Amino acid sequence: MKTSDKMGSIKIPYNNNFLDLFISLTLFFGLVGCGQNSDEQVAPMMKPPLQQEVTTSRPPKPVPTLAKVTESTRNTYQWYCAQCHGTKGKGDGINAKLLTVPPRNHTKAEYMETRTDEQLFEAIKFGGLSVGRAPCMPAWEHTLSEDTINSLVQYIRELCQCEAL
Amino acid sequence: MTLKALIFLCLGGIFFFTPTPTQAGVLEDNHCGSCHRLNAEDTNTNPAGPDLHYAGQKFQPQWLKQFLKKPAVIRPGGLTTDPSFLQGTPDNMSPHPSFSEEDTSKLVASLMNLKSVESNFEPVGTEPLSKGQRAKIKYQFERTFGCISCHQSLNLAGKVRGGVSGPSLVNSGNRLQAEWVNHWLQKPEVFISKSRMPRYKLDALTRDQLTQFLMTLKNENIR
Repeated sequence: MKTSDKMGSIKIPYNNNFLDLFISLTLFFGLVGCGQNSDEQVAPMMKPPLQQEVTTSRPPKPVPTLAKVTESTRNTYQWYCAQCHGTKGKGDGINAKLLTVPPRNHTKAEYMETRTDEQLFEAIKFGGLSVGRAPCMPAWEHTLSEDTINSLVQYIRELCQCEAL
Repeated sequence: MTLKALIFLCLGGIFFFTPTPTQAGVLEDNHCGSCHRLNAEDTNTNPAGPDLHYAGQKFQPQWLKQFLKKPAVIRPGGLTTDPSFLQGTPDNMSPHPSFSEEDTSKLVASLMNLKSVESNFEPVGTEPLSKGQRAKIKYQFERTFGCISCHQSLNLAGKVRGGVSGPSLVNSGNRLQAEWVNHWLQKPEVFISKSRMPRYKLDALTRDQLTQFLMTLKNENIR
């Protein structure tokens, strides 16, 4: 008790208002001042939302914007793809007859509509083997940008006049 | 007086600009420059033949000699920079002229002096590929990188197979210099502004082994 009394009698050199201000400023700069995106840092501190809240407040799933087919897309197809797939995409390029597996005919809707845009994208970017198809189709990931590949996918959709089922 | 000065200037100009009979002159005398780019500054964007301004870094002199005496088709599908490339079989492709023994020696000497690319070419390993390494890199050549789709090569039976849009690699071991192949695989933009071949980011070991594999492809291995 005596000790307690002694402790209780210790004189704090700051008043309560000053202490409140100090704690408030420390919390504020600790949470906001260290990162460029304060939301990301504050978020983990927040209470996780209930399932009910998630379903009601989640923003609608963004619809991917379709890449446009431009003159550059057509030129790219003629420059690279036409060697095997032919200038009109019929799978009759100058290499076609010499390959173990014939190049895909991009005008054939019956087959092309069974492939999703993502599968076409992957086949171009990572090569035929990546989508379980022939290795004759090389990977263009270090040659063509993703935007160009996306536009090529749309151009192939133009050639087959089809969409993924 | 003005006329005399004009004549003097014209004659002086002719004298000044007449090329000296250097080795490059041998190439000009044989009109090589009408189909091939003989210097990097040549602005012809659609030459009828492949660039030769780095011929001394690309070709083996012995192969050049044989080719100039008895030309063979290297690009069955035509030259990729030709606007009519891919438009059909290049039936109307004019054959490369052949030359006498004497002319051939002069031409080869001139061509081997054309070294326009300043980059340092990395040396290629001299240790022969083991059976396993060769099998692995052949698999990668055909299946991982799909080279066979555009280039003719030799299959296990020693038969020629493969696409024709790129130059034939059937005799690449006799035709090309290993260091050039290695550099082409690493930095093709040094040699051509825009190739039709996909770019590959190969690690140094794979590039070296692929180069060594290509150097084993020779006409004498055709069965």
